[in-house]
Amino acid sequence: MTFLPVRVRPLSDEAALCVNDAGRFFAGSHGFVDRLLDEALTPMDRQFLAREGHALEADDPLGLAAHLHGVAERLSRAGPLDYLILVPTLRCNLSCSYCQVSRAGLAAPGFDWSEETLAAVLACLDALSTDRIKIEFQGGEPTLRPDLLRAVIARCERFAERQFVVCTNLQQIDDEILALFDRPDLFISTSLDGDATTHGRNRTGGPVRTDRFLANLRTVVDRYGPGKVSALPTIDATAPPDIDTLIEAYAAHGLDSIFLRPINFQGFARKRHKDAREQDLAWRAYYERFVRAIIARNWRDRGRVLEETYLSIALRRIFQPGRDRHVDLRNPNPMGLDYIVVDHDGMVYPTDEARMLARSGIIDLSIGDVRRGWDSEARDQLNAHATNQFDPACQRCAYQPYCGRDLVDDIARYGRIDMPRLETEFCRRHLHLFDFVFALIYSDDPAVIYSLSRWLRLPGTPASLGARLQ
Amino acid sequence: MIRLTLPALAEAERPFVTRLRIDPNADTDIRDSLLVNEEAAGASFSGARGLIAIDGATGRELDGDVILVQPAPGRVERLLRAGSRTNSLLVTERCDQLCVMCSQPPKKTHVDRFALLEQACLLAPPGMLIGISGGEPTLYKEQLFDMVERVLAARDDLAFHILTNAQHFTVEDAERLRSPLYARTSWGIPLYATDAGLHDRIVGKAGAFDRLERSLATLILAGARVELRTVLVSANLHELPALARYVAARLRFVEAWSIMQLEHIGFAKGRWHALHVDHRRDFAPIAAALDQASLHGIRAQLFNFPRCTVPPAYRSMAIASISDWKRKYMPGCAACREQGQCSGFFEWHPDADAEASVTPL
Ligand code: SF4
Ligand code: SF4
Repeated sequence: MTFLPVRVRPLSDEAALCVNDAGRFFAGSHGFVDRLLDEALTPMDRQFLAREGHALEADDPLGLAAHLHGVAERLSRAGPLDYLILVPTLRCNLSCSYCQVSRAGLAAPGFDWSEETLAAVLACLDALSTDRIKIEFQGGEPTLRPDLLRAVIARCERFAERQFVVCTNLQQIDDEILALFDRPDLFISTSLDGDATTHGRNRTGGPVRTDRFLANLRTVVDRYGPGKVSALPTIDATAPPDIDTLIEAYAAHGLDSIFLRPINFQGFARKRHKDAREQDLAWRAYYERFVRAIIARNWRDRGRVLEETYLSIALRRIFQPGRDRHVDLRNPNPMGLDYIVVDHDGMVYPTDEARMLARSGIIDLSIGDVRRGWDSEARDQLNAHATNQFDPACQRCAYQPYCGRDLVDDIARYGRIDMPRLETEFCRRHLHLFDFVFALIYSDDPAVIYSLSRWLRLPGTPASLGARLQ
Repeated sequence: MIRLTLPALAEAERPFVTRLRIDPNADTDIRDSLLVNEEAAGASFSGARGLIAIDGATGRELDGDVILVQPAPGRVERLLRAGSRTNSLLVTERCDQLCVMCSQPPKKTHVDRFALLEQACLLAPPGMLIGISGGEPTLYKEQLFDMVERVLAARDDLAFHILTNAQHFTVEDAERLRSPLYARTSWGIPLYATDAGLHDRIVGKAGAFDRLERSLATLILAGARVELRTVLVSANLHELPALARYVAARLRFVEAWSIMQLEHIGFAKGRWHALHVDHRRDFAPIAAALDQASLHGIRAQLFNFPRCTVPPAYRSMAIASISDWKRKYMPGCAACREQGQCSGFFEWHPDADAEASVTPL
């Protein structure tokens, strides 16, 4: 019998989590770990390991092929470019305390796409090889330029599958904007930081504008149903909102998915929230309480399933590799291939965070511009390091098959990408996230298993989700 | 039931394949036969191989069908019906397994029709997914591969779904199956239990499970597309959760896992009471298997499960699996909102049983 390597991480007082390179895992009791170290595995142990894909019998070509397939499946492969994040204007009618883009004033000239930039974006769309397209309009406030949105959308008619997302502060909606929103292939993404007071403090700066936003949010949710509208809160970790109030603010608008983000360490935020780095621990405690509050709510009110978006992504990555095309968490995580960001001046960035870094003068991570292209040396240099596969810390980490890599985050925080992995915020955040998710997976609380089953999109609720070896 | 074989008279002496057409201005082919006459009994067509008079169908019903004309027994086989999404070609009636529930019990003799079937495929309507079944098609592996490759190379709009017991793939086949042509071929492969002895007993062949695993290893390495199929019988009902764990651990590469309710025909008809599981009474093992498969991102589906007999949480997995020509609904189904997504019943399913089980949704 050949044992396939597993990486081990403490799970609880009684058990250790064992994960193989294909991401298959089980909870092994300390008794098992002792037997393993003493080379005293029982026939039952061996049977379990073979059945679960952690050991190969002498003549088992299927077990070997399945394992190799499983390892390969964990590696993402970027397809052709089919996702564009477009910033038609940097101007905005709000000035949020943590604005991530160093926004431009409402009347400031020179912060919108020029004729040439629009033409280049359209030419870029024409040249795409896929038959599906996803476009996200960011800003600034993209609805300040409905004409540009219309021009881009019209040019996408040729794609069989289309999805447009407008990221808007919903401060101003009129008939022209609604006519755009009426398209069934268009989705609305907005920010909702909690109750009116919190939202006002962080974003609108006053009750009049907050009321207008809430009225507009209500209008679009009523008009289109919640499936069309999503919202994200941004949490100021120095003064996080009351958890139940935040959850109910979302539930009240029929919004079931809450992507709980800490303040981004960039742009104006960098100046105004200097202590963001120290907030990490408090933030994680808050995050756990938040998820547990959702779990309790789901259990009380079975008619409704709320979720924390990033936790669901991590959870699905553990069990369902290869399903999520989500670019937030993947490995390798190459840049400037399957998605790009085109800024208001036509510069091309690998991610929105990279754009903000350049905008706030920290480092220029542009990889080209939309007229001349972005098949650049800068991009290739980034992509040579876009994997966690060869990182010495990740290679020893049980979570490597599920985890990702975020070069831009490292550069933003440390100005370099060769930090010892365990000392990066990305790593600490994901170690915590996966520790937390596995604690939930091995929870005996039926309320927890119920919520996890819903987040994993299971038809029923299994008795348990993870294998155990005593 | 739509009849797939019709009585016919033909001028030709030897069997041939042709496509029937009623509109002389349509985009026609030298191998087409055009409608020349229509009367109460049927329709007559004329083509390069002479006249064919077919009974029991109108010209419109036959338009676009690719048929095999068999002058000696006096009949035509509608090989590929233009109006149907589910067409299946039978390449042999021989098989090296003998499953306890076989719906189409094998015969000892083999009639080689590969050349005719290949001509039929080349005339297929645009974009068709052509099913291939048997018997066991891979008993004639070389001819099968040759046919599939030639057809797919000539027609980039076509695709094949081939039912096989996967007892005959060898390591050497991996290289050939890696050809991009096979991206348009999927293989439907039965697996009944993780217990080798039980699987072997169900398929009536010693060593079948072991051989199947070897073939599946080859298919993984070839990057093949596989749909796994498990027919539900009383012997494997309680094995389903274990089978689901096995699929998650060893067969994650499959595109879909179909759990299929028994068909009241062939061997199963005579053994109905010994084999048939009333899933309405004991859905728990099936539910556990579906949960386990879904947990690991394996697309599980239920074939031949009328939707109203499946608990609501699992209903979306019960798909309209029964081909139009052999499907029926009960009078009660007329009021059902989900008939369009429902498998209904096999034409040969006992009416009394079917009638008793429907509750319109
Ligand atoms: S980044 Fe950290 S958590 Fe992620 S794989 Fe590497 S060591 Fe593990
Ligand atoms: S009533 Fe008929 S059509 Fe409706 S789910 Fe039942 S069997 Fe299917």
